[in-house]
Amino acid sequence: MSELSTTATRAPLRDSGARTVRLEATNHEGCFLGKNVSPKKFAAGKDAGFAFADLLFGLDLGNAPAFGSAYPAWRGHLDDVYLRPDMSTMVEWKPGLDSVIGDYWLKDGTPVPICPRNLVRKMAERLAGHGFTATVAVEIEATVFEESIHEARARGYRDLTPLGGSAGTAYHLAKSKDWTDYMNAVADRLDEVGIEWEAWSDEDAAGQIELNLAPGDPVKVGDAWARTRQIMREVAFERGHSVTFMAKPTAGYGQASHLNLSLQHDGDNAFYAEDGPSATMLHAIGGLLATMEGNTSIVLPQITSYRRLVDLSGPPVTISWGISNKTAAVRAVCGHPKYSRLEYRLPGADANLYLALAGVLAGVIAGIERKIDPPEQVTDMAWCLPPGLGIERIPDTISKAAAALDADPILRELLGDEFVDCWIASRKWEWMQFHTAGGDPFAELSEWESVRYFELP
Amino acid sequence: MTGTMTAPTSASAGAAAVDVRIEDDASPVVRLIARTLRDAAQAGHAIDALNRSAGTVAIRSHDTPQSATITFGDNGIDVSSGVPAEPDAALTVDLNARFAPTADPSGDADLAAGVLRALTPPLPGWRDAAQRFWDATRSLPGIPDVLIAVTEGPEGLEQAVLGDGSTQYLIAGAPETLAGVFSGADDLMAVLSSGALGIQGTLSQLSVMTGASWKVRFDV
Repeated sequence: MSELSTTATRAPLRDSGARTVRLEATNHEGCFLGKNVSPKKFAAGKDAGFAFADLLFGLDLGNAPAFGSAYPAWRGHLDDVYLRPDMSTMVEWKPGLDSVIGDYWLKDGTPVPICPRNLVRKMAERLAGHGFTATVAVEIEATVFEESIHEARARGYRDLTPLGGSAGTAYHLAKSKDWTDYMNAVADRLDEVGIEWEAWSDEDAAGQIELNLAPGDPVKVGDAWARTRQIMREVAFERGHSVTFMAKPTAGYGQASHLNLSLQHDGDNAFYAEDGPSATMLHAIGGLLATMEGNTSIVLPQITSYRRLVDLSGPPVTISWGISNKTAAVRAVCGHPKYSRLEYRLPGADANLYLALAGVLAGVIAGIERKIDPPEQVTDMAWCLPPGLGIERIPDTISKAAAALDADPILRELLGDEFVDCWIASRKWEWMQFHTAGGDPFAELSEWESVRYFELP
Repeated sequence: MTGTMTAPTSASAGAAAVDVRIEDDASPVVRLIARTLRDAAQAGHAIDALNRSAGTVAIRSHDTPQSATITFGDNGIDVSSGVPAEPDAALTVDLNARFAPTADPSGDADLAAGVLRALTPPLPGWRDAAQRFWDATRSLPGIPDVLIAVTEGPEGLEQAVLGDGSTQYLIAGAPETLAGVFSGADDLMAVLSSGALGIQGTLSQLSVMTGASWKVRFDV
């Protein structure tokens, strides 16, 4: 028997006249994977689920099987797992094509323990058990280049031309029309598909965009994130451009994926207090900081993710929090009944948002359940701090972060040993591939990274 | 923090106590070099080269950006990532061919030759290598209960059966091939891809054995 409620597979099919239904979900890396099926096939399989080879959780971004540790019991010799569509996510993607997001399940009806979407739901349900409803929001950062993806591939994804020019970054409106045309087209597509967006703007690097999606339920925001990235890629392709969500597409600025989070209890913002953080917010911060070293592996998943961790360059580098302090890893926004929230500033743009949300919610749950008090907030700048202050630095390599996750009893308990072990094994494989198959740790950004991460995840 | 190990870990004829240290969070090439130098010391091989008290040698991979530096000092050997601007000697080697040089060494010829010798310790016999492999990896999660190594000797098929239990894994190859894989001198997947090795077991067991190969090769 499943420990989770199954997704809404019993809903009737829409009579949309679509010729194709696209099944969608992310794998652990955050790649948006799927399969196109006929309406007849979809109707026949929507309750039982659609078979996918288990290797979708076993291939690396270079399409090689990731070896190095024991498989979980549910993995066999390329055995099947089943994607069950969540009918509440069905939309018309374009005329003739419907799109539906689902979750991965095993033959016995239990969720695949490392299914990212299932993990988010599991955390949200655990919070609900304490009477809390989580509301989250994500900032999507991406860089758009003038060249088409074909041209980008031919150039090894290097020496590309940022769309919109390079004169001025961050909030500049004096961008060339091709840049605004691109984002207007993205916004139009989001409207057509029914994804609510709030804002977009020029970000801190040439060609870089920040797009803010509307706050909402964690699973739904994860769905919106996955589809928005797909739309940004499709629009770029249609317009002869290319877009990347690499943590660092050039040797310059990096790209983040900041998460904002609040908790509601009986309809009120549980993070709000008149005079600062509420007790609930403080415990949430305590849990987030207690799990930050381990969660680093999840929210900074790739080799390039760690190249962002440079003092004074934007990303946090210390396990720290502060009220209205964007140099800290967790920024507390206090004093407003509606907007009081936490901003978790560590994730890179290359993180799988479902997993990042699961990890962050796990930290919040731990803080609330265990009443973890946070350390003193950092009121100074949290970059370039000298040693001896009791403020630890964030693990700065993929291997250090994986070791921290391995040793984190809280995340092991909440996310499950199977997920943690699978994830650590895949990070160890990534580390080994980088070093032995062509990556250069001494380059600002090696060619191996550009090839591996520009298009995926 | 620095990782350190003083070879030998067990008494061997001619073995020497050489402290080989690596940096924190060391890369695979650093780990590979350090492990190989420890094996050399344990085997009593190239002791004169290992006991040098000065000298820096840069080691570069011939086909990837991997690089490391071996620094000899009064208190042992340090292996670290990257190469200094002006090492005393420099070697370019094939990391997947037991440090075979792919170009002439530069700098101090004696130092370079000594390091090359130290990086190519003699392989143990295949049975001894299999036993050491098993001792080092038998506790890994998911490792089969029994490892069977099979080779063809002068008298026909020979095998070593290590461990006891219901799940087993079979690896078959020439004695030299088995010794290379089990000792960590060669990478399991690379040898498997070359067709020089046969295996029988599950896909999950191959994944575990890959991790076991990393353990003996890179000490991870």
